Amino acid sequence: MAAPMELSCWGGDWGLPSLHPECLTVMAYAKFSGAPLTVNTVNNSWRAPKGDPPVLVSEDIVISQPAKILNFLRKQKYNADYDLSAKQGADTLAYIALLEEKLLPALLHTFWIEAENYCSVTKPWFASKIAFPLSLYLPGKMSREALNRILLTKGGPPLYSLTEVEAQIYRDAKECLNLLSKRLGTAQFFFGDTPTTLDAFVFGFLAPIYKVCFPRVQLQEHLKQLPNLCRFCDDILTCYFRLTVSSCSPAGQDTADANLQKLTQLVNKESNLIEKMDDNLRKSPQHPPRKLTTLKLAAGGEESSPMSRLSP
Amino acid sequence: AAEPWPENAALYQQLKEEQILLSDNASSLAVQAFLQMCNLPIRVICRANAEYMSPSGKVPFIHVGNQVVSELGPIVQFVKAKGHSLSDGLDEVQKAEMKAYMELVNNMLLTAELYLQWCDDVTVEEITHPRYGSPYPWPLNRILSYQKQWEVRRKMKAIGWAGKTLEQVLEDVDQCCHALSQRLGTQPYFFNKQPTELDALVFGHLFTILTTQLITDELSEKVKNYSNLTAFCRRIEQQYFEGHEKDSSTIAARSSKKSLLR
Repeated sequence: MAAPMELSCWGGDWGLPSLHPECLTVMAYAKFSGAPLTVNTVNNSWRAPKGDPPVLVSEDIVISQPAKILNFLRKQKYNADYDLSAKQGADTLAYIALLEEKLLPALLHTFWIEAENYCSVTKPWFASKIAFPLSLYLPGKMSREALNRILLTKGGPPLYSLTEVEAQIYRDAKECLNLLSKRLGTAQFFFGDTPTTLDAFVFGFLAPIYKVCFPRVQLQEHLKQLPNLCRFCDDILTCYFRLTVSSCSPAGQDTADANLQKLTQLVNKESNLIEKMDDNLRKSPQHPPRKLTTLKLAAGGEESSPMSRLSP
Repeated sequence: AAEPWPENAALYQQLKEEQILLSDNASSLAVQAFLQMCNLPIRVICRANAEYMSPSGKVPFIHVGNQVVSELGPIVQFVKAKGHSLSDGLDEVQKAEMKAYMELVNNMLLTAELYLQWCDDVTVEEITHPRYGSPYPWPLNRILSYQKQWEVRRKMKAIGWAGKTLEQVLEDVDQCCHALSQRLGTQPYFFNKQPTELDALVFGHLFTILTTQLITDELSEKVKNYSNLTAFCRRIEQQYFEGHEKDSSTIAARSSKKSLLR
């Protein structure tokens, strides 16, 4: 009945359907409410982006912010908050405000401003998803926007240096995580047994912290000490996303991802071969020269795989 | 043990009649309400340079003993360290809710007030610029207001509010008031019998919106739609502010003073 809806957003890694918190929120909400979205990950094509991802395109309507996208989905009768009372709806708004004020700055900092994280993980990952000249400019721009936002909203006069601001925002973020954990308690979702908008937002913010492997991980370590929040993320991933993580839309399958899969298979095959050879060796210890040849083979095999990785 | 609260504790804000703006007035009233609820006496002192005296650049700030603390959040913590607290009786989940609702008010109401004051051209020309620079001679008054306007607009752009139209901002205010109204329901205060800092914050913002005369009445109309919120404001005003006519003002007095200005 509804016109086909396409969502374009950043792709995923480390077991997540997307790395960008807002994209994750929209995808989670779509899954919760049963909205049929085709997800297109931003890739190397030269198509001009219609706005910052996540962007929803339905016929001629282009909507770009998560709150507006969720409103649009609700108007199309895909409403995950149907069973909520008015007070719970009010609580949803309040907790989303809490997330944006307290947790988002630290999330942005971990991704875009912490030097080690940014240089070794975030920038290469995002750069690999965009076409060439833009990939030199866009990650830098996103980083500058994040820094700007943090300094303008949190960097008031008593906090004169970036390190003080950082200390403050991480304190706030840890407090926010503690509050969320207390609110969730032992329930499966925030409002009973079915997930709602609030669950989508919390998932969108928590999952990147939880799953992405950064060198500097103080927020992730704090999150891992709150087992009910970790369980919450894992539950949503297994119940609502497992079907699509391995089989994401073919149009969005990155060549780099395909290469990575092939490489993993190759390495697995190699290690299986090596294990088999080891077993053979153990059964026949009187052939030491063969050991050397197998090592050479293994070395040769491993050298060939980085070669195949470099080739585009 | 509770430390004694000095007699000469003072709260500083900008000049009430000519200079103070909607958002600063709301913040100041919230702090005054909070201190009244804690039963801590405080004098309100109006100074033209209050913003510059404040340690964080924001008003209001309180001067207690030899310490200066600004903004509601730090003031609540400071008062708690002195042994007075309104939210001790709440359990953990309720405290989480209270913090979340306070962030909602700051996120939506305060930002909407700032937007209206500094990003809506008509309001800026007719109300904000004349008021903000009123204690200073020309050209300083224009320079200071333009500087502040540039700062606020930069912040709006960073959080994504620069692209919003006035209607969208009013929609957000309506949504926020709806949420607050739902949460309050028929109770006297947000956490039933006892007022907390959330009540003080909500009162500060809603009362100021209801009693400040702007170019149009759209903002106060949005709040008036919710009768339990207006009743809430009236109740707190009667309970905590009636006895002190010198420092605070009732609804009638406020609007008559404001109507003398454009």
